[in-house]
Amino acid sequence: MASHFSGVLQLTDLDDFITPSQECVKPVKVVKKQGKSVAKIQIEDDGSYVQVNQDGGKQKLERAKITLNDCLACSGCITSAESVLITQQSHEELLKVLQNNKTKETEQKVVVVSVSPQSRASLAAHYKLSSSEAGRRLTSFLKGLGVHHVFDTSFSRTFSLLESQREFLERFSRKEQDSKALPMLTSACPGWICYAEKTHGEYILPYISTTRSPQQMMGSLVKGYFAEQQGLSPQQIYHVAVMPCFDKKLEASRSDFYLEEAETREVDCVITSGEVQKMMEEQNVCLSDVEPAALDTMFSSVCEDEFLSHSGSGSGGYLHHVFTNAAKQLFGEEVKELTYKTLRNKDFQEVRLEKDGAVLLCFASTYGFRNIQNLVQKLKRGKSPYHFVEVMACPSGCLNGGGQIKPSSNQNQKDFLHQVEELYKAERPLLPENDTKVAELYKTWLHTLGEERAKELLHTKYHTVEKMTNGLTIKW
Amino acid sequence: MKEALAEVQRISAHPDSRCWFVSWSPNGALLASCGGDKAIRIWGREGDLWVCKTVLQDGHQRTVRKVAWSPCGNYLASASFDATTCIWKKKNDDFESLTVLEGHENEVKCVAWAPSGNLLATCSRDKSVWVWEVDEDEEYECVTVLNSHTQDVKHVAWHPTKELLASASYDNNICIYKEDDDDWECQATLQGHTSTVWSLCFDAAGERMASCSDDRTVKIWKEYPSDSGQGVFLVDSDLSWKCVCTLSGYHGRTVYDVAWCQLTGALATASGDDAVRVFKEDVTASPDEPVFSLVAQVTRAHNQDVNCVSWNPKEAGLLASCSDNGEIAIWRFKEED
Repeated sequence: MASHFSGVLQLTDLDDFITPSQECVKPVKVVKKQGKSVAKIQIEDDGSYVQVNQDGGKQKLERAKITLNDCLACSGCITSAESVLITQQSHEELLKVLQNNKTKETEQKVVVVSVSPQSRASLAAHYKLSSSEAGRRLTSFLKGLGVHHVFDTSFSRTFSLLESQREFLERFSRKEQDSKALPMLTSACPGWICYAEKTHGEYILPYISTTRSPQQMMGSLVKGYFAEQQGLSPQQIYHVAVMPCFDKKLEASRSDFYLEEAETREVDCVITSGEVQKMMEEQNVCLSDVEPAALDTMFSSVCEDEFLSHSGSGSGGYLHHVFTNAAKQLFGEEVKELTYKTLRNKDFQEVRLEKDGAVLLCFASTYGFRNIQNLVQKLKRGKSPYHFVEVMACPSGCLNGGGQIKPSSNQNQKDFLHQVEELYKAERPLLPENDTKVAELYKTWLHTLGEERAKELLHTKYHTVEKMTNGLTIKW
Repeated sequence: MKEALAEVQRISAHPDSRCWFVSWSPNGALLASCGGDKAIRIWGREGDLWVCKTVLQDGHQRTVRKVAWSPCGNYLASASFDATTCIWKKKNDDFESLTVLEGHENEVKCVAWAPSGNLLATCSRDKSVWVWEVDEDEEYECVTVLNSHTQDVKHVAWHPTKELLASASYDNNICIYKEDDDDWECQATLQGHTSTVWSLCFDAAGERMASCSDDRTVKIWKEYPSDSGQGVFLVDSDLSWKCVCTLSGYHGRTVYDVAWCQLTGALATASGDDAVRVFKEDVTASPDEPVFSLVAQVTRAHNQDVNCVSWNPKEAGLLASCSDNGEIAIWRFKEED
């Protein structure tokens, strides 16, 4: 089976295509139960294991399972994670929850789907619609299936951009005292985060922005603010994200985004743009034939029935926003237009703010593994000239994510990607600081929670994955 | 047979260890060897004999699998099982470690310089092939990471004149890469060997390629324009390679290395059956159906596996081989009328 993960994850030891049953080296945790020490184990006809006690009583034994968290915490392969993911996070899971809502009285869930603007653009290109049109029709399709709310992660991305900008100013202010304050590396790409944690650990992690990605910002909003508003417990909400990227499933599964008390994830399930398309095909639905629906305005960045986006790259526009803001806040410069200088290749670009020959700000975007590699090596050698870097694992960034819809057989890959980019850019940009709904939420919700709690909801942590020294991992 | 391989010298080069690879400097004056003892040795001629001029140690933590000279002869690259590639710079008669290329996840199996000297290719057990670019400040940057193979990549070799790269793998295939637009791409995957492809090399003109395999054969591949109808059909590509000759029945075990003499066109092989063999092409045969015949062999060239053979680039007929027993042997291939 070909792996769906981004190239970054496919390299490294992460894709040895081994399954948990054969070569997984993760020691399985055994919960020891008190009991009589003597018993027989019998294998039944159906393959299950049964413990036969001395008194003749039988007890079915639990199967030892490798969970996704085991995989993420392990420095070994990631393919096991993939097979686990496919069972935990798929459109079939979403359909199961919706089915349960229809047929059973118990365990009713409020189903929320948060759609990324990159997925919207991908669906728009495939079905030959505008991005907003695709969004309205997708809302209609999902609600027809029984989804209660359809939100837009451009909205939660406004939080990510504002928090990134604040974090950058804070890091910039302590750059003299702390050698690892800058460059600040973006954190929205889960493939990059997973690679950094598994391969480079403490060298690189301090540089990575603690700001949550739009997906996980939405997690906070939906299972925090929204749940409270609706008088629901977080567990009563089933939150699905539609993303351009398979690696986002890994992000949703991180223990940092698991609500211990409520025993639920902030994002329960991630499905890719391609899986949404598959879901429609399975239901014999063509998006262009679906009647458009009104948009949910609560957590959506919209102006009437048009979606709003952010300036800059198709990967979230982090560089654009942080740069223009920092130029203004730190140097009083109003930057109207950013000049991107292409360096080694089109996936490695640089933007500078210069005054009287001095370089005040030096930002870069590095996409794809080859450029990430050079960035990491430069950092290790102390030769990086950058203050900020927008890092994405996929060549061409998120619009070209591994979860996007593939061009049809008569379409050229590059032309199709170009279409997706055009459709994405056609959404009117909104300045994050001008979003009144977001400003209102900062004031009414986050402010009342206190600084510490707000930080937990808007930021996250990274963890070095220790290379295993377990004897089982030695390759002869 | 009129031709013969005469032994010139036998050296215990990497005692109590394996000697994995030998490489002649571009002017033919020096021979670099590497081995399981983590060391690189540089050999030079004194009178009639080759003697050790210098030993490069402490560059690597594990076995040094391959070494490669830059086309200018001033740099040496070494690929190691410690996942790094070292670049050494020649200073008078000595070498200093210039930089260490990190990035491969595990064992680096081979390293090769492009004819321009500006590009370097490495490959690894991590299944990837990397191309690095050197700038004026002797800084190395990764230009591309290619994931076309599904298994361990054993060998990389550059075309003698074009920026065209070939790789050989445990997945039984050969991949050919070229820069396209903004990135490098695999332009062709050559299938034919039925087991691991251990090594490959181009002929002097770059029109043909020889590959050797665990399937005990050597295959000759010829480049055809894709519209000639002769090769494999390739979409979006202007080149295709077709296997025009298979040398089978000569080798008793795995063929680990093949070397095409740029001066004489003789083809030498190194095999796990301990032998070194030399093949010559029948000049009267059609170029589309070349015929190679065995013209010289030493069946017990070494008392263990022969890992590598290498023709001196300036002195026609001078051949070096090395073995699992740690030895280097220098041979003279004599062609008699």
